[in-house]
Amino acid sequence: MVGFIIRRSIAMLLTLVAVSIVAFAIIQLPPGDYLTSYIAALSSTGDQVDPRVIENLRVQYGLGEPFYVQYWKWVTGILQGNFGHSFEWKRPVSELIWGRLGNSIMLEGLAVMVMWLIALPIGIYAAVRKYSLGDYLATVLGFIGLAVPNFFFALIVMYLAFVWFGETIGGLYSPEFETARWSLPRVWDFLSNAWIPVLVLATAGTAELIRILRANLLDELKKPYVTTARAKGLTEFRTIMKYPVRLALNPLISTIGWLLPALVSGSVIVSVVMNLPTAGPMLLRSLTTQDMYLAGAIILLLSVLTVVGTLISDILLAWMDPRIRYGSK
Amino acid sequence: MRDTLIHQRPWLGLAGAALAALLAAAPALAQQQAPMLEDMVESGELPPLEERLPENPLVVEADSIGTYGGTWRMGMNGGGDNGLIVKTVAYEGLVRFDPEWQSVVPNLAESWEANADATEYTFKLRDGVKWSDGTPFTTEDIAFAVEMYQDPDYAASSWIDNKNNPVILEVVDDLTFKFKFDTPNGMLMDELASVNGIHITSLQKAYCSQFHPTYNENAAAEAEAAGFSSWALYLQDRCAWGWETIRFANPDLPSIYGWVIDTPLTANAARVTWKRNPYYWKVDAEGNQLPYIDNLDMRVSQGVEELTLMALNGEIDFQERHIATNVNKPLFFDGQEAGGYHLGEVIPSASNTLVLQLNLNHDDPVKRELYQNKDFRVGISHAIDRQEIVDVVFTGQGEPFQVAPRPESPFYDEELAKQYTEFDPELAIEHLEAAGLTEMNGDGIRLMSNGEPAKITVDVISALRPEWIDMLEIMQLQLGAVGIDIELNNIDRTLFYEKRPGNEYDAQVWAGDGGLEVVQEPRYYFPANDESVWAYKWAQWFNGTRPEIAEEPADWAQEQMELYRQIRSSSDPEQRADLMKQILAITKEQFPVIGVSLMPNSYSIIRNDLKNAPESMFNAWLFPTPSPMNPVVWYFE
Repeated sequence: MVGFIIRRSIAMLLTLVAVSIVAFAIIQLPPGDYLTSYIAALSSTGDQVDPRVIENLRVQYGLGEPFYVQYWKWVTGILQGNFGHSFEWKRPVSELIWGRLGNSIMLEGLAVMVMWLIALPIGIYAAVRKYSLGDYLATVLGFIGLAVPNFFFALIVMYLAFVWFGETIGGLYSPEFETARWSLPRVWDFLSNAWIPVLVLATAGTAELIRILRANLLDELKKPYVTTARAKGLTEFRTIMKYPVRLALNPLISTIGWLLPALVSGSVIVSVVMNLPTAGPMLLRSLTTQDMYLAGAIILLLSVLTVVGTLISDILLAWMDPRIRYGSK
Repeated sequence: MRDTLIHQRPWLGLAGAALAALLAAAPALAQQQAPMLEDMVESGELPPLEERLPENPLVVEADSIGTYGGTWRMGMNGGGDNGLIVKTVAYEGLVRFDPEWQSVVPNLAESWEANADATEYTFKLRDGVKWSDGTPFTTEDIAFAVEMYQDPDYAASSWIDNKNNPVILEVVDDLTFKFKFDTPNGMLMDELASVNGIHITSLQKAYCSQFHPTYNENAAAEAEAAGFSSWALYLQDRCAWGWETIRFANPDLPSIYGWVIDTPLTANAARVTWKRNPYYWKVDAEGNQLPYIDNLDMRVSQGVEELTLMALNGEIDFQERHIATNVNKPLFFDGQEAGGYHLGEVIPSASNTLVLQLNLNHDDPVKRELYQNKDFRVGISHAIDRQEIVDVVFTGQGEPFQVAPRPESPFYDEELAKQYTEFDPELAIEHLEAAGLTEMNGDGIRLMSNGEPAKITVDVISALRPEWIDMLEIMQLQLGAVGIDIELNNIDRTLFYEKRPGNEYDAQVWAGDGGLEVVQEPRYYFPANDESVWAYKWAQWFNGTRPEIAEEPADWAQEQMELYRQIRSSSDPEQRADLMKQILAITKEQFPVIGVSLMPNSYSIIRNDLKNAPESMFNAWLFPTPSPMNPVVWYFE
């Protein structure tokens, strides 16, 4: 097991190096750089920028340097904990992103928990009581959840909350708690504001999970060992929970690693619509303004989370399912 | 009488100042200030009001005398929305426009004079105006701003360092200074009264000089200690120019605005808040210190959906920006009673919803010749069914219109605005054939002189105005019917601008700026600046920013440029108006760009308990509404 983890970790590091190069290259792919998008923004207000000023800025920002020089500076900086400067905000990137990433992880972590809490019982029920009224209901709701885009669902919820309750939903905190330190009232305020975005973020994933779990479980339930277990006189609950469900969970565990990036990228529009201070809108904005160190840092950190998530799911799988062998020998 | 964008007489300013002085003198007995400031004076935190106000405070007239207090709530779209701040708080230059956008009136300067050939302007500052930290605002600060803007290491550019005609400053005494120019600059007062005027009053020497090595030998070391790679970057962070976003992230930067930063605009701010400036230098007609409203609260929203709901819910007190879309108008109209607000009228400065700019300087000689052929452009214009576009895209708001001064403008010329706007496919075909497009290919597309089909690729940024795509798709069908193939090229803003110097486009689309600010923004009337995309190379010949791609313009354009040079050097407003009319006459004759429809009026959300707020106003960037409508005298009842 230890050797397995070490091997995985080395592979993980190599993946991260590759990801950082690709991420940095992709950010630089669009034509122009931060300054061209800056000029574009100024020009549209009728401002004429003197080319000399831009040349000066280009030198000050080190934008004229070749790709590998910029990359090397960036990477060596990161190893010392310096993610570079955001051009737009003139601040160290590390000062800007942690709060946002924290919000993202908190919200999306809650969304994952809600997803599992809702999806597991419903999925199991739908498989065990196949073609019952409950199964049909779960299927219909599941397909609706899959089909409705999250941001659209968010808009509907916001509109209904306004029309029915006269409430404006938006943000994660009430005004008085926006800049406050963490305290019990602030946690309560967060939860009372966050449950709606969490539900919205969880819908599509919940629907998907229900479908996967139901399909997996249906495969397992037909297998002879289930019949054997029943014949041996195990209670129905124990029969289902102890073996088939455990097996049906395998594909779910192996995708834990993808959950975070999928949620982050899937939540960009929801965050914009509901004005959530998560990493998504910041990533979107930094990409459109070509604020490359900021965008690069967010992409890199998301990749780290993905890779770590994959490692965790590998370990969990190996632990859950004794049939899985370490290595490929 | 809106003739004015051009003709402010220097003595008008003097007269205005004299009037203001009279008004200020009369009611000086009963000067009052906000209760919160009174408490601070009593506790000794602040000097008394008389010491904080200038000798001759600016008197702002309003419909009614207000009461102190309250918070004005509004919303920003995304973190980079410095525009809202500029248009709400930061419009405090030497002079300003009056609320009707008719003349230039005193602001920080109480009077000014210009010499006859517009090469020398003398300004007199209001005596005793103080920065928000209580130190006097003097000519030293003006001199420092000029020095910074002209310093190549301070990355900002404006009229101060315009390389064709830079400002030469002469300081006479603490309150008097002169701007001198090598070449006549007849439009300086319009520039100073516009949003561009705030550059010169935006930097306090005492605070900002500490970041510059000329004034502080340790500047470089301090910048490094603060985590910046050079002193220039640190200076730009602490003392950003005029309306740069990052300027509002530094609460320590002294200002002369009515409100000062309380919660700064940072990347993670959920809202930006402002509190009253105790040293603000304007009073109402009874001598009470302004502003009336205590605080500003700008919600930072990632998108407009939340702002729209907030406005409907009565959580926004006054706003036009972002939320006043055409689509939402019925929604806001129906919600007036429930939300406790009403809608005000907002007249845009843009003349046209869409300007089709064919590239008259195209590198391909065949296309260049075709696009320069007036018959071709007239043919396209007649082929567009503008009423259909107005009905479908703008629910009937607006009317067929060319790119021309708006009906509200003194330069309005019905013929210029309406020529070639009638929908007449047969006439269109006649003109296209006159332009040499007589042959057609199998798909019904006309062939150019080299045998290639007449296909125009139109660059458009749908992210900026989603309705452009809807309009162009209708135009695509209409032009297809007369044998012109339109291809939509929906691109990002950066690429849109990148393509210009390389001359890599057939046509680009933008809105019709310059419908009211005709003289200041003549980009569509002749090749005037970088935004004259229809003749980018000619414009470079005129303004000299990129001499390497400049090209000698056609004779008619050169004639217009000569006329515009005369406008710049004239100090006589009537003469300037007359010259501009001559330019527009050539525009009418040449018909360089094609317009679609008159930009319909927009609307503002006004809470019913907000008083003195304008029921009707112009909206422009140069005239940064609502600031010229004096928000400092608005109050809550």
